[in-house]
Amino acid sequence: MKAPFLPLRPSDLGLRPSFGLRTSGFGLPLLALLLALFARPGSISAVSPQAEFESGLAACRIGDYVRAAHAFRESVTLEPASGALQDLGNAEWRCGRAGAAILAWEQARWLDPFNPSPRQNLSFARKTAQLEAPDLTWYEVVSTWLPASWWAWIAGTSLWLAVGMVLLPGVLRLRKATWQQAVAALGLMVFLLSIPAHFGVQTRARIGFVLQKDTPLRLTPTLEAQAITRLAAGDPARWVRPSGGYVLIRTSRALGWVEQEQFGTACPRTGKKAG
Amino acid sequence: MPTLACDMPLLTELEKVAVGRVDYKHAAPHGAVRCEWAHEILHPALRPVDPILLAPFLIVFLSLAAATTLCAQAPTQAPRDPFMSLMMAQPKIEIPLVTKATTAFDPPVVRPGELSFFRVVFDALEESIEWPTNLAGPPQLEMRPGAHGQMLQMNLTNLEPQTAFNYRVRASSLGSFTIPDFVVRVNGKAVTVPSARLDVVSEPPASVLPAERVTLELPLTNLFAGQPVTARILLPGTPAGAVQGLGAPQLCGSGILVDLGGARQRIEMRPRGAALGPTFIYETTVTPVATGKLMVYAQGFTAGNRFFTPSAIPVGPARCTLLESDPLELDVRPLPTEGQLPGFTGAIGSLTVGPPKLATNVLRVGDPVKLTVTITNRGDAPLARLVAPPPPQAQDWHVFAPSDITPTQPLAPPRPVVRFSPDGRSVVTSTAQAESLVGVVTFTYTLIPLTEDTRDTPPIPFSCFDPKACAYVDLTIPSVPVTVQPGAVPADPSSLVQASSAGVAPEKELALSGLSASRGRTAASLVSPQQRPWFPLVQLAPGVAFLGLWGWDRRRRHLEAHPDIVLRRRARRELSRQRRVLRRAARTADAPRFATAAVNAMRVACAPHYPAEPRALVGGDVLPLLPETERSGRSGQAVRRFFALTDAARFGTGASATAELLALRPDLERVLEELEQKL
Repeated sequence: MKAPFLPLRPSDLGLRPSFGLRTSGFGLPLLALLLALFARPGSISAVSPQAEFESGLAACRIGDYVRAAHAFRESVTLEPASGALQDLGNAEWRCGRAGAAILAWEQARWLDPFNPSPRQNLSFARKTAQLEAPDLTWYEVVSTWLPASWWAWIAGTSLWLAVGMVLLPGVLRLRKATWQQAVAALGLMVFLLSIPAHFGVQTRARIGFVLQKDTPLRLTPTLEAQAITRLAAGDPARWVRPSGGYVLIRTSRALGWVEQEQFGTACPRTGKKAG
Repeated sequence: MPTLACDMPLLTELEKVAVGRVDYKHAAPHGAVRCEWAHEILHPALRPVDPILLAPFLIVFLSLAAATTLCAQAPTQAPRDPFMSLMMAQPKIEIPLVTKATTAFDPPVVRPGELSFFRVVFDALEESIEWPTNLAGPPQLEMRPGAHGQMLQMNLTNLEPQTAFNYRVRASSLGSFTIPDFVVRVNGKAVTVPSARLDVVSEPPASVLPAERVTLELPLTNLFAGQPVTARILLPGTPAGAVQGLGAPQLCGSGILVDLGGARQRIEMRPRGAALGPTFIYETTVTPVATGKLMVYAQGFTAGNRFFTPSAIPVGPARCTLLESDPLELDVRPLPTEGQLPGFTGAIGSLTVGPPKLATNVLRVGDPVKLTVTITNRGDAPLARLVAPPPPQAQDWHVFAPSDITPTQPLAPPRPVVRFSPDGRSVVTSTAQAESLVGVVTFTYTLIPLTEDTRDTPPIPFSCFDPKACAYVDLTIPSVPVTVQPGAVPADPSSLVQASSAGVAPEKELALSGLSASRGRTAASLVSPQQRPWFPLVQLAPGVAFLGLWGWDRRRRHLEAHPDIVLRRRARRELSRQRRVLRRAARTADAPRFATAAVNAMRVACAPHYPAEPRALVGGDVLPLLPETERSGRSGQAVRRFFALTDAARFGTGASATAELLALRPDLERVLEELEQKL
């Protein structure tokens, strides 16, 4: 015997049992709140990253690099992309902002290390501006072989693949096969090999670059602090810790404080998406 | 600010060693380079040390010094570093404790719209002055920033710095306008710049001379990128015949490269009105490195050397004034990419290649030989920074890049030719040049023949761009006939050469890449996933799943080892269902259904204890599970009654009195509770 449907009663919250198609005065704001909570900002924005990117390309073609840099920055703010970051670096370099250009190219490398153009541009810029490249440790060099996000997924997938290959045959009452053991060993090996790269990603995320020319490296995080030295735009340093509006950085020569606006990391640490 | 400056070229080399980075700021005469650095960026070994930390070293040093004096033989004195000696011999830079600033308009009285220079001069280093970006003045004055620079002036034994800032001022109306005094921070201290007044009148007095200025001359303003051109900065002498040297001359502007090595200066008689007058000329080479409209202007200090013609009499002390020229606009075009020939290394001009000279025409296999090539510039542009054509890759020869390069040899400047009118006065002065030969450069290649079969040297591709014809010109260095004899070395030299050159990859020229046409690889954020808070949770999810699977498997194995647990659980579940049925039947007074449900409930509750199929059990199987006292009591009787009446209704032919069973429900409930407790 087929069970009858339960009669639907009006909801106490105002949403009538019409699956949201007919809403009461309270239901409409609730629906808007849910949309605001779960909808992505880019999906409802009038400007898209692709449109901003093409606007930047058009500005570059007519030589308006200031406007191009602005458009590329808007594009990568909406959605970071390696090509847009590369073009942002080119536009910033044409505008004479070496620090911002180097940061953009480093971010492009961070996102897509397979793209040779940012690496070539970084070599060119550092040779031209007589800047030094970041001094990377061996595990940080290994971490540059693949995109940073890949290492995370490789480590997780390989670990759980190895665990699954060991555990599942017993659970599923399958006979343990050689290939299962081989896959487990391979997964464990990949996991162990990816650990240094994983660690390298963590430490490389602290590498940043001076954005402004003649940035004073202060002895203390205060406005009136004594300047230890002055850093050139694009000089690399490692983020140690923030304090107020300043950040303690370690360069190849000294340890000191700079203003946070004068220092940018390839992997943003202040909640900014890009740029 | 502990800043040091010097004019010695040798010191720049020392500074490169000490500092590791040199910032070329200004050009000085005679190719000298002035560089500045702050002590903060010195190498750690050269930083000043705390005197307290030096005390132990000082004690050890004095002890060693005392011990050495006790030796019978005096130690040999270490030779003094010539660079250090040269540096120590330089005069000190004397920076006054109290910085003074002076201001003046030049000229102080002008007509409306006439140009006047507002000069602010400090006796301090330029790096120590925090000059304001916007200088406020009366609205009737149009003020534009001009030249600014620094000069070191010799004062007996020390050098005194002098920094000047120029503004180009034009007044729109008549009147007297004053730029009020303002404060500038110098070395962190506030220095008051005094006010200055400019009088704008319709007819300035004759005693007011126009502002002294320098003139920038460029023979061409329509150039190609990379095309060198000779720039001349002219400083005319006074009408009395005195002419001053120009200190720290500079060409200012973005997108240009100034060749300091080829700078020359001289004094020349040039026409001034109807007569000739001495003029100081500073000549150098400018190369545009950017395309588009470029603005260039010249500046320099009138100071130091004063030269006098025999008829001139020196009057007053030397003045140190920053002069500047009117800006010139350069229209720079990029080099055409079409028609570019092999061997183009950026040479621009009217070049010719002389016949190559080989050291000897009779060679042995494996013996190096020198090939000298002379390139002559016959155009009106200087031959600056010519890059040698790269060595060719030949089968029978190994050609090394030219290591012996004789730099450009500029010829003597053109001499003025003065023509005289019949009355004996000079009327025309021009520069004449019999042959516009501007420079010669010589490259020397080293070639090694690899086989004895070759009969001539390989041609070396070379080309230049002729700006007059707007085309590339082929200047390939031709072959030279040779006779190659067998070598004395038995080994094959070609294999040696290949082995030596195998590991050397040609260096790729760095350049800025083009724009990316697509956005490329995208990501939600530049922050890597392992730095996101959700990442550990995502990574733990498979672990939790595997843990659940493992627990489920353990539970399953446990139940397989103890099947009675499953039977009892099923019995409890079925008992509950049957109890619900019988209660419903009791409510509706459905006696047959009530009786069937009661019997089924007792059967499923007893089945796990045997174990047996519930339908196979009878009342006698239920009674042993009841307590001993109740088997013959009400509970036992109820059990017997239920089974008897149910069997009678099921198997009998007559009507059974199942209706009376409804009255036994309390006894039945007690029996079922007893049985449930035993499950």
